[in-house]
Amino acid sequence: MTAVHVEAPAKDEVERQLRAWMTASLDGDAAAHRHLLGALSGYLRAYFARRLGAGDAEVEDLVQETLLAVHLKRSSYDRALPFTPWVYAVARYKLVDYFRRSRRRAHIPLEDAGTLLGEDDPEEGAVRTDLERLLGQLPERQRALVEEVKIQGFSVEEAARRRGVTAVSARVMLHRSLQWLNRAVRDEDR
Amino acid sequence: MKTGDLIELLTNDVQPMARGLAWRRLAVGVAGGGALTLLAVILWLRCQPLFLAASQPWFWMKASYTAALTAAALMMVRRLGTPGAQLRAAPVWAAGVFLIMVGLGVGQLVGAAPASRLALWLGQTWRVCSPLILLLSVPIYAGLVVAVRATLAPIHPARTGAAIGLTAGALAATLYGLHCPEQGAAFVVTWYSLGIAAATAGGALAGRWLLRW
Repeated sequence: MTAVHVEAPAKDEVERQLRAWMTASLDGDAAAHRHLLGALSGYLRAYFARRLGAGDAEVEDLVQETLLAVHLKRSSYDRALPFTPWVYAVARYKLVDYFRRSRRRAHIPLEDAGTLLGEDDPEEGAVRTDLERLLGQLPERQRALVEEVKIQGFSVEEAARRRGVTAVSARVMLHRSLQWLNRAVRDEDR
Repeated sequence: MKTGDLIELLTNDVQPMARGLAWRRLAVGVAGGGALTLLAVILWLRCQPLFLAASQPWFWMKASYTAALTAAALMMVRRLGTPGAQLRAAPVWAAGVFLIMVGLGVGQLVGAAPASRLALWLGQTWRVCSPLILLLSVPIYAGLVVAVRATLAPIHPARTGAAIGLTAGALAATLYGLHCPEQGAAFVVTWYSLGIAAATAGGALAGRWLLRW
């Protein structure tokens, strides 16, 4: 086991921080969104590793799948409720779904949502289902846009200008590509 | 793809989400589907003019039952679509509303002359009532499924599908009440509820497939 498990700070404090980032991200703050997903990936990695076995190549797949779901389903979060139970339920849903797809029977206990914040593992593992490969199946226009944003590091506005489309339609294209990617990962046979 | 790259990609897709977005989408789904159903009641079932139907007290008896069910069921849809949220009181309200209606229906039959009880219970239209309500619920169900898929994240697709079916069935029954000539509580609590229950069961079955994410 190469992963470095770091003792996480007090859960209340983490909840407060995550919720503040989530609220800001819902208000359109991209930096808060990046912080949120970055922090979540560590907690998710440790959580999935406990369930699947650390070093399992599918742990990182599940982390990515869950981040995609957190992103695409963030409108379902109710700002009046605590954030940890929401993200825990999303992670558990993705884990249950993973076992169902891989035709393995597993009992995944319904724990206190706070267990998700129990451990943090910032060390990124190798992936099995490569999102890169799935993205390669997108139609050419969408694929090119996603690559400019992701690999070349352009903002959506810059990428839109380079491809000669409006920023609005580039945003729509990017969003559709992510929704498509989410479905492609879910329907991938493992 | 590295997880860090994925996060960068997602960060580029951040758009502000208005408060109450999920509720607004649900309202649009209910309104859109409900408009189609109302159109079907007016044009296909050729109901009496709306003002005439709405001027009769028995329409409001039926409508308060089914509208209260609609509201409680819609609360359930919102809660079931929020990961980690508790269902809380909405199912209790729905059950309470149903039990009150059962009480009214039983009271009506007990108070009636024994010979007229069967006629009161079956009315003139018991054969068509439940199937029509089930059929009329389909547009509302579809509108709500679109809204839930767009903005909510149901952890239990079958349960959420059932709640959507309950909402759709109860609202369809409310609109069907404009056409339906029956006036008795015993009739309504049986045949209306049966149609609503069928919509709930169908909604649960379809939800298993339609609501996964």
